[in-house]
Amino acid sequence: MSATRTKAVLEVRHLTTGFKTDRGVVTAVDDVSFDLYPGETLGVVGESGCGKTVTSKSIMRLLPEHLTIYGPASEVRFEGENLAFASEERMRRVRGDKVAMIFQEPMTSLNPVFTVGWQLDEALRYHTDLDARGRRQRAIEMLRLVEIPEPERRVDEYPHQLSGGMRQRVMIAMALCCEPDVLIADEPTTALDVTIQAQILQLMANLKERLSTAIMLITHDLGVVAQVCDRVLVMYAGRVIESGTVAEIFHAPRHPYTRALLDSIPKSGARAHKKRLPTIPGIVPSLFELPAGCRFQDRCAYKERRCVDAEPGLEGALGGRQVRCHFPLDGGAA
Amino acid sequence: MRERSRKFLSGRGMRKLRRDRMAMAALAVIGVYLALALLVLLGVPSEDAVQERVAPDNTPGFFARGTAERRLDSAQFHLDSIQRSVRSSDPAKAIAEHRLGTLQLVQVSPEELESRLTEAWRAFDAASALEDDIESPAATARLDELDTAIDALYVQPTGFAAATRFAQLALGTDRQGRSILLRAVYSAKVAVQIGVVSALIAVLIGTLLGAAAGYFGGWVDHLVVWLYSTFSSIPWIVLLMVIATVCRGDAFAPLVERMPLLPVYAAFCLSFWISPCRVVRGEVMKLKELEYVQAAAAVGFGRMRILLRHVIPNTAHLAFINFSLLFIGAIKAEVILSFLGLGVQGTPSWGVMINHAKAEVLNGFFWQIGTATGFMLVLVLAFNVLSDALQDAFDPKHV
Amino acid sequence: MSADALLEVRDLVMHFPVRGGVLNRVQRRVHAVNGVSFDVRRGEVLGVVGESGCGKSTLGKCLIRLLSPTAGSIRYEGTDLAALGHGDLMPFRKKMQMVFQDPYSSLNPRMTVREAVREVALFHGVVSRDAADAYVSELIQKVGLRADAADKFPHEFSGGQRQRIGIARALACKPDLLVADEPVSALDVSIQAQVLNLLMDLKDELGLTVVFVSHDLKVIEHFCDRVLVMYLGNVVEELDCERLHADARHPYTRALLGANPINDPADRRPLTVLEGDVPSPFTLPPGCAFAGRCPVVEPRCRAQRPPLELKTCGHAVACLLEPGA
Repeated sequence: MSATRTKAVLEVRHLTTGFKTDRGVVTAVDDVSFDLYPGETLGVVGESGCGKTVTSKSIMRLLPEHLTIYGPASEVRFEGENLAFASEERMRRVRGDKVAMIFQEPMTSLNPVFTVGWQLDEALRYHTDLDARGRRQRAIEMLRLVEIPEPERRVDEYPHQLSGGMRQRVMIAMALCCEPDVLIADEPTTALDVTIQAQILQLMANLKERLSTAIMLITHDLGVVAQVCDRVLVMYAGRVIESGTVAEIFHAPRHPYTRALLDSIPKSGARAHKKRLPTIPGIVPSLFELPAGCRFQDRCAYKERRCVDAEPGLEGALGGRQVRCHFPLDGGAA
Repeated sequence: MRERSRKFLSGRGMRKLRRDRMAMAALAVIGVYLALALLVLLGVPSEDAVQERVAPDNTPGFFARGTAERRLDSAQFHLDSIQRSVRSSDPAKAIAEHRLGTLQLVQVSPEELESRLTEAWRAFDAASALEDDIESPAATARLDELDTAIDALYVQPTGFAAATRFAQLALGTDRQGRSILLRAVYSAKVAVQIGVVSALIAVLIGTLLGAAAGYFGGWVDHLVVWLYSTFSSIPWIVLLMVIATVCRGDAFAPLVERMPLLPVYAAFCLSFWISPCRVVRGEVMKLKELEYVQAAAAVGFGRMRILLRHVIPNTAHLAFINFSLLFIGAIKAEVILSFLGLGVQGTPSWGVMINHAKAEVLNGFFWQIGTATGFMLVLVLAFNVLSDALQDAFDPKHV
Repeated sequence: MSADALLEVRDLVMHFPVRGGVLNRVQRRVHAVNGVSFDVRRGEVLGVVGESGCGKSTLGKCLIRLLSPTAGSIRYEGTDLAALGHGDLMPFRKKMQMVFQDPYSSLNPRMTVREAVREVALFHGVVSRDAADAYVSELIQKVGLRADAADKFPHEFSGGQRQRIGIARALACKPDLLVADEPVSALDVSIQAQVLNLLMDLKDELGLTVVFVSHDLKVIEHFCDRVLVMYLGNVVEELDCERLHADARHPYTRALLGANPINDPADRRPLTVLEGDVPSPFTLPPGCAFAGRCPVVEPRCRAQRPPLELKTCGHAVACLLEPGA
């Protein structure tokens, strides 16, 4: 991958995020490290509660500050600056300008009482020094960039006049209007229909070609990952358990969880039709009652004594192939 | 059923509530009031005890030293009333029955009493002679002598009687010489009674009407909405006054005779059902779209069964919260209504006390209004704190 | 009309009036289901697939008469359910149950699992009061929960476990027909597989007929025998799942298939992208409902509504451009 030769735009090291709750502090993200390079799409996958959304919100520092505790070793380095403990004022400058985010729910992410143009204009006013005419021009350009038909008319419409797919496009336009270096997309297509999802995924692929934005795509949908990502982090119960290129993860998964997750998706074609699906028994452990050893031990088909005694470390070089397992699979085809 | 209540008490909401120190303190305060109310229900202090004269008018409590003039007035009150007993047609009987709260006259021969009384009158005259310079040390010495002489007329209470005497006078007396503390404590029962009964009935009416309106929709909904819109467009205090006045009419006289609080209950229930009704209606409209209600319909359950078993129980948290809000609402409203002379009649209540204190305050006798307000304030405050905590703990939107 | 049809649906129409204004008049109608005909065969799993707003959930609710259809008939072993009132429906309620989508709102939070399941069984007289507890225990074990789950409340379970409870409740009155409305959409992938396997096992064991409503073509393809593809209140194609990839002929079905990302990065190809959005269900276009987004649309498509025509055995398509068998 050519991207590894250039310098990483975002370096996350030992990111640990805990929440204060009724029942004490719970660690939702535990020692997560990764790099994000310009022009690449990094997929972060896992089931609900695995910490993927908390990871992204920790990077953006969008979690409620009074309930959140970041581990002292946490680093979110953006152009060398550690944002994990930066001031809120500094973060306001960084958000939107350098790192932008799009959310899952296109219905509630836009303010219903302002026009699309006004909302784009607001972001531009804050982060650029364009004049009113220039900002409007820029807003229309952005809408055209995200392939909204008739952008000159749409710019003066309210969110309720747009369909779900259109709204998600507007959200992407807003995220991209200040040309951020990093775009974090948290389940951007989960709430959309398949045909609309295809439109948005296609749009994101086109944009990646045209801009050199680095994209961090958070999703539970492995199909989406296979379709658009270059590299993948697989998370489970707050930990990164495997990472690698998308081909490595899909064709030669080394962690039993990744393997089982891939197997449990219904396959098309007559061969699999009406056959029982391979499943992962049990459920994700509660973050309050994590087992002492490997966090996947209770659901793992290859569990051994060592898995109960000690939690495996994440083996492998950062940015390359990594796996957190005492007995990694040899990586045969899934 | 036991299993169910155990689960409820160990549930997330309860756990959250128990962690809230303010809420626990408020709960303790409310517990004290409930205990007082219970004591009153058991007859301590009795209805008679709060109506009887225990001391001269407007005797200050332990916190305030009376002025020299007041000491003189109060001495005159004692001497006059004893004199009346001694000079009555049957002195022996009158003296034996002479009571002032727990105080009774010394059991000596009438002649002996007569002479002690004369002694006291002499002391009174000596003190009165210095009236122009009543604050001087000489006058104070005379007044102390006067007090000693009066004390000699009474049996000095000991043990339980002394404690009772202290409690009666602890916060002073009103202008009829009745104990303010006892009246305030007795009023706690009246307040709790009014609060519980009206809040309970109002929440019940509100929940049933609101649930019916939200669930059945159509004309039921139109009717209920019309009803509460009409009721809520009348300023509530006017509504309360009208209902209270109507209930005082002849038609209801026999009923009111037996239940003096009936007009108050009627007024409160009719004006307080609106807010629980509104909230429950909205909640039920939301609940009826939920899949478990649809699942119940798919099973074939009738609409009443679904409403009673699957919908209304899930509005219980609203009933809980509304009850606590209406409880204090009722207590405050009772005070206002009684202050206006339309509320509680015949028994003491904080509102009645404040009403009576109107004239006293001008003369600088603040203890009655202070006590009634203080008792009410602490209870209302505790309930406010608790109902906020309840909302935090049980409202699913506050996680 | 085939002999093995458990349910025969003919020209089913479901319109929802939208009221508004000062006089609360009906201002417009949502055309949720627009004249749909099909059979549900005894013992089969019939999938209903489509995007949000296509009327698939409404159709499912009409089948078990949670909604009263505006027009058309639903014959259950010959009796038209669409015409029956609350009392007359009761014997049929016992035979048809529903599994809902949202595991968090489909269970009454104040009822234990035992209460929820027993209530249904007793109401329909499936078991006596004395035998009810044993019956409930057996049932919740059958759906893969431990027996001690019976006395817990829904909030003590995970999403997948709640969905199992929902299934147990639906099965409590021993129905013949189960309508499953997006039963796995709200679940994580690994849990989805568990619930799908459970449904498959129960179907075989109890001889259920299942109508499986979903937006996920992969799940439908895996689980169902036949599939109805719906678009804007109409069935546009009906065919066997096994032949879905090979034989699908309606442009919308093909688009759906092409828009689904494939789980193999080596097989990456541009997704089929349809222009535009699903039109408003308030005002339907006069011709083919799909004409506005169809990649192969012709002028006549906008004028004439294509009927659902049998092309080959067991394969019907509603498209003017598809020649008949």
